[in-house]
Amino acid sequence: MSPSSSSTLTPFAALGGFFLSTAENVGGMGGMLGRIVTRLVRLNFDASELLRNLYKMGVKSLPIVVVTALFTGGIMVIQAAPIVQRYGAQGLLGWGAGFGTLREIGPLLTALMISGRVGANNTAELGTMVVTEQIDALRALAIDPINFLIVPRFIGIVTTLFLSTVFADVLALGGAAYAGYGILGVEPAVFYNGLTSGLLGLGDVFHGLIKSVVFGVVIALASCQFGIATSGGAPGVGRAVNATVVVSAAGIFVLDYLVSFAIG
Amino acid sequence: MTTEQHASSSVGNIDEDAYVKAPTGLAALGAGALEFVVAGRMLYSVFVKTLYYTVRGVRRPGAIAQQMYEIGNRSMVFLFVVMGFIGMILVYQAGIQTKRVVPDLSLLGATFLELLVRDLAASIGALMLATRVGAGIAAEIGSMVVTEQVDALRMCAADPVDYLLKPRFIASIVMTTVLITLAAGVAFGTGMWTGYAFFDINPRTFVNMSMVDAGDLTVGLTKCIAYGAAIPVVSGYCGLTTFGGSEGVGWATTRAVVNSSLSVIILNFFISGAGFLVFGG
Repeated sequence: MSPSSSSTLTPFAALGGFFLSTAENVGGMGGMLGRIVTRLVRLNFDASELLRNLYKMGVKSLPIVVVTALFTGGIMVIQAAPIVQRYGAQGLLGWGAGFGTLREIGPLLTALMISGRVGANNTAELGTMVVTEQIDALRALAIDPINFLIVPRFIGIVTTLFLSTVFADVLALGGAAYAGYGILGVEPAVFYNGLTSGLLGLGDVFHGLIKSVVFGVVIALASCQFGIATSGGAPGVGRAVNATVVVSAAGIFVLDYLVSFAIG
Repeated sequence: MTTEQHASSSVGNIDEDAYVKAPTGLAALGAGALEFVVAGRMLYSVFVKTLYYTVRGVRRPGAIAQQMYEIGNRSMVFLFVVMGFIGMILVYQAGIQTKRVVPDLSLLGATFLELLVRDLAASIGALMLATRVGAGIAAEIGSMVVTEQVDALRMCAADPVDYLLKPRFIASIVMTTVLITLAAGVAFGTGMWTGYAFFDINPRTFVNMSMVDAGDLTVGLTKCIAYGAAIPVVSGYCGLTTFGGSEGVGWATTRAVVNSSLSVIILNFFISGAGFLVFGG
């Protein structure tokens, strides 16, 4: 993410630069998390800003969440179709689609879409405010930018992602049931039985939902940190947004592995 | 209503500025549909122009090579890290789930390889490239639009689609295919390690190509090419339609990421469906 880099630097310098910039980003995100938590504990943030962000992030993201979830459900069934046909295991289609969707694909794809829609947008907004010196204006008016801008966005993103994941789980399973009926001729009732026959429990649902909260924290921290650290006019905003989506995506996958492993 | 006005006044959100007279109810639906149709037609014309210039345009191999480096080499580490983790996650989750039903995990590797070749490598890899490459293309072209460099190109009688988008289009198709093929190898390797470490599956058992057939390969490669073509066209379109300063660049980048990710998911649905109908089980 460091500017220039690559072409002129030797491999070792590039490697060192990579680690330094990674450390700087992770440190910045950690520091920001600390400052956010102190405000959260004291309930010291702007409530109307929170409502506005919840509307802008949550409600306005609904269309892409719906489209993504329906298609994802369909894709899950198409991918499982050859296996179902090979073994004639129609009763297990619900289990297969349900386990894949609830534990992995639902939270993961929703997080990626929200990271693109909300996280990138958030960085762009904060970056623009930095570049046009609106943040400095806030400071000059003795308004803490963390209270006023960052904490509402943080809560907004985490809440949005959690609720979107709940929506996406339901819609993806609906999409999967219909795709199963359309492509394989598996009755929705059979699909539902496969889903609830005991192989899947509430634990699997919570597994996905816990992940969605973790992903939300990563997206929120990355987007706020890169937004606030923007420099260098319009191209700088573009670079910040680019860095946000890349770091969010990498963070999502790395944490996905760690969380899957930690909570089994 | 008040919240939206507040939004546009305090932050100057472009999306809402464009519709200050916020249409309600049926009008909002109609406005959305109209916008969708117009965007679709413009996207289509950008795509056709790109194809035309790919055949007839000015040949500049240097620009293509540079874009290949930007899109390919510089995404490699990111893509390999992500796909490596994906391989571990998928084998871990699949192993746990399969053990609930059948104790025999000897076919896990074969099934994993089939899924990887047919879908997961291409689709998840392309989603990652859509964020990395799509955001990069939109930010770069968007900045050029905002700083009037694209207008300067037009003044010099160089079509921005030919000059900017075509090299990225060709480079993206080639490099997406290459990157995804390599990334699939990485994912399979980490998956094999996970199978060995957590489920005691011998790597010799895990590496089992019996389930991969010509149909799987065809579908997988079709996806690579389709995604490789879709990402630069969608994000280039988003970049070229940028307006309104640094904020506009941010918005263009956001739209590029969202739209190219959506196009990957939707293309995946249709190509997978077609592949299933053509090649069967």
